[in-house]
Amino acid sequence: MSFITDQQTLDDLNIFGKHGGDSVYQIFNQTRTRGGALILEDMFRYPLSDEQAINKRSSIVQFFASANSTFPFESSDFDAIEPYLNGKDERTRLSVQEQSVAARLSNLVAMDADTQAIHNGIITLTRLFIKIEAFVNALELHNNHPYQLDRDGMELLLQESVFVSVLNRPAKQKWQAAELAEYDALFRFKERDKVLRLLQYIYYLDVYLTIAKVALDCNFTFPKALSKGKNRLNLGGVYHPQVKNAVPNSIEIGAQSNVIFLTGANMAGKSTFMKSLSLALYLAHMGFPVPASNMEFSVLDGMYTTINLPDDMGMGASHFYAEVLRVKKIAMELKNRNLFVLFDELFRGTNVKDANEATIAFTAAFAAKKNSIFVISTHIIEAGEVLRERCSNINFTYLPTLMKGNQPIYTYKLEQGITSDRHGMVIINNEGILDILATGLKKINP
Amino acid sequence: MSFTTDKQTLADLNLLGKYKSNSIYTIFNQVRTGGGERLLQEMFQHPLAHPDQINKRSDLFKYFQERNLSFSLDTESFRKMESYFNSSSGSNRLLVTAATAWKKFASSFLRDEEYNFLNDGLLATIEVLNSFRAFVNSIEDDINSPYAAERLAISNIFQDKQLQVFLEQKVVKEFSFEKIARYEHLLKHNLQQEMEFLINSLYKLDVYLTVSSVARQRNFSYAQALPATQPLLKARGLHHPALLKAVANPIDFNKDHNLLFLTGANMAGKSTFMKACGIAVYLAHMGFPVAAEELSFSVMDGIYSSINVADNLNMGLSHFYAEVLRVKHIAEEVARGKRVLVLFDELFKGTNVKDAYDGTLLVTAAFSKYRNCCFIVSTHIIEVGQALQQEGNHISFAYLPTVMNGVVPQYTYALTEGITGDRQGMMIIENEGILDILSAS
Repeated sequence: MSFITDQQTLDDLNIFGKHGGDSVYQIFNQTRTRGGALILEDMFRYPLSDEQAINKRSSIVQFFASANSTFPFESSDFDAIEPYLNGKDERTRLSVQEQSVAARLSNLVAMDADTQAIHNGIITLTRLFIKIEAFVNALELHNNHPYQLDRDGMELLLQESVFVSVLNRPAKQKWQAAELAEYDALFRFKERDKVLRLLQYIYYLDVYLTIAKVALDCNFTFPKALSKGKNRLNLGGVYHPQVKNAVPNSIEIGAQSNVIFLTGANMAGKSTFMKSLSLALYLAHMGFPVPASNMEFSVLDGMYTTINLPDDMGMGASHFYAEVLRVKKIAMELKNRNLFVLFDELFRGTNVKDANEATIAFTAAFAAKKNSIFVISTHIIEAGEVLRERCSNINFTYLPTLMKGNQPIYTYKLEQGITSDRHGMVIINNEGILDILATGLKKINP
Repeated sequence: MSFTTDKQTLADLNLLGKYKSNSIYTIFNQVRTGGGERLLQEMFQHPLAHPDQINKRSDLFKYFQERNLSFSLDTESFRKMESYFNSSSGSNRLLVTAATAWKKFASSFLRDEEYNFLNDGLLATIEVLNSFRAFVNSIEDDINSPYAAERLAISNIFQDKQLQVFLEQKVVKEFSFEKIARYEHLLKHNLQQEMEFLINSLYKLDVYLTVSSVARQRNFSYAQALPATQPLLKARGLHHPALLKAVANPIDFNKDHNLLFLTGANMAGKSTFMKACGIAVYLAHMGFPVAAEELSFSVMDGIYSSINVADNLNMGLSHFYAEVLRVKHIAEEVARGKRVLVLFDELFKGTNVKDAYDGTLLVTAAFSKYRNCCFIVSTHIIEVGQALQQEGNHISFAYLPTVMNGVVPQYTYALTEGITGDRQGMMIIENEGILDILSAS
């Protein structure tokens, strides 16, 4: 079973971002090969929900990160190889037959670009095979090493006749037209699968090395995946990778505190904290390093966030209905899955009474699902008081606002409890609106 | 004192803006002349502050609307005539002749357009002025009509002998050189002021006819302006002028009922209703027709609104602060004794509920004491309404109802007295059976 999520969540967390915008994918998108970029995108699209698979990928990356390895091949080589291998048209196949005098003559003067690209592709590919063999031979791994399977796979593949013939070829020997045609037939047609399989290992290697480099550059941490169903999440010093000078926060979630009830003023950083938490968990399920100082988590089956959905107030009640439908969809998913569910300001488009009742009803119902994690933020602090009475497994946290004169200041540091910040009235009073009105009235009606 | 408002209010009500779709200005901007457009803009930018001025202008519109006069002004000819008069000419007859001679020479030998331009301009002028004269003559000579003074002035100009000769000559395609030079001197020098007056009258006429025809098409009516001694704003069948199928509602503000507390769901039409009120009051102060069956008002000093500010919740507390500052600004204006219409839509909605409740209640109660102003305050926090009922009966309560058609909410847009008790939120949740789904497993 794979990790489930949806477009809304991907948008909320800015995984792929809008066109040209900064996205989380962009942080990691530094692969040197196009094949690697495709694999990376797949990893982002399909996080894992299997403890072993997550830990395996994570430890491979950790291995390369600790070895501080660099990509052992030239990325320019792939610029020649990738288009060459993509050409599957039989008609472009080099001919073994003796070429006509005219063709020879014209090739002597100026070879056409297509043929030249094919020649170039063949020669670069053979050079790459030699480099791969050297890389595999140089790689000494202990037993049960996470990368062992990949290494052995490459070694085995290199013993296939197509590669053996290339590897045994004297490096300085001049290329003959007949030889080129022979290899072209092998690489692109007869033994195409094997060539692609070998390259696939290199693409994965590219991805692992890229992630390792990002982890080192950004000082990310490798999380440890725990088995499913325990519902534990220990997250220390988590921050948002796209916020400058982000303040790190720590949170601990267990079966006894699987609902986080978050309050705080609008600018206090609720959404940012919620995004950082979700993002860390998302990356962790990909087996990727996360922007935190330490992390340990039980593997979940999926993630649904609702952060930016309510921004379009113009849609009004029909928007409220859309929100209700989203909760319903998630409620259905919760039947047989353990999920991470996040709601930012649930029902803020409706009247306060309804929003209050609905928030209490839903949070209490969610709290009964002890194998899933829920994060709920709201302005309705009254709902928190009621929930405190009703459920024991809710973790009440808030992001504080301090007043410096009239200017609100935010610490972005998570604290226990429900906010009691009442800066709204403080600001209204500071501006003396009521005084202005009272004195004005006296002047008019003395 | 002039009628004041501010950028925020103009934007909230979408009043101005030639290139903004659906702005109130574009509804009326069907004028055919550039000068008419300038005049219309001027009217939109400077509403009137005196009841006599307002009533005088609206009487003019009403006069043209009732008579349904048609004036076929050829826009192309008028444009040619305008540019003819915009080109300069000398005061000395001899110099004018010399300049014209040069133009004729340039036209013949240098393919210059100036001479043809003069010829065409004269032809267009004859055409436009003749149809203008016919139009003015077709208007009954009634000394009591609001247009009487203007009509008289125009007729007097047309009495001019030289002008009559010019207008009544046989129409030819090309004037002789001598005539062009003579008319050039006549129209641009001897009759310069008269011609300016006529062109300005045409601009005004363009506006009068356009506005009255818009009013006729859209069934707008004319507001009655009263002196500002007693606060009064009373309308029947008030609706939003930009909406074609808008539901009409009544309003009634006076010294004893100066605040309307408005509740209702988000889509129920609160903002539209508030905008409709603001637009009607603004247009009424311009002397323009309003989207209502009937409207009478005492002249006010301005309108202030806070309608669309709160839409961007992401801006957070700093936005809340901006909203507070706006309320403060309005409070200062009100405290200075200005008689204004104030529209507050969902005050303080970006902050926590307790603060929003306290803020809305205190601010609303304090404003409501200004009996010479009119207020409309809308909110989601219906509890504020219950508390305001203790404040005295100068506050009236109305809501825009939501009717459930199965699970789909429907809106009547008809103002109903009271505070909304609509609780569709929980109903929708219960209908979807979400809590059952959650507790099932």
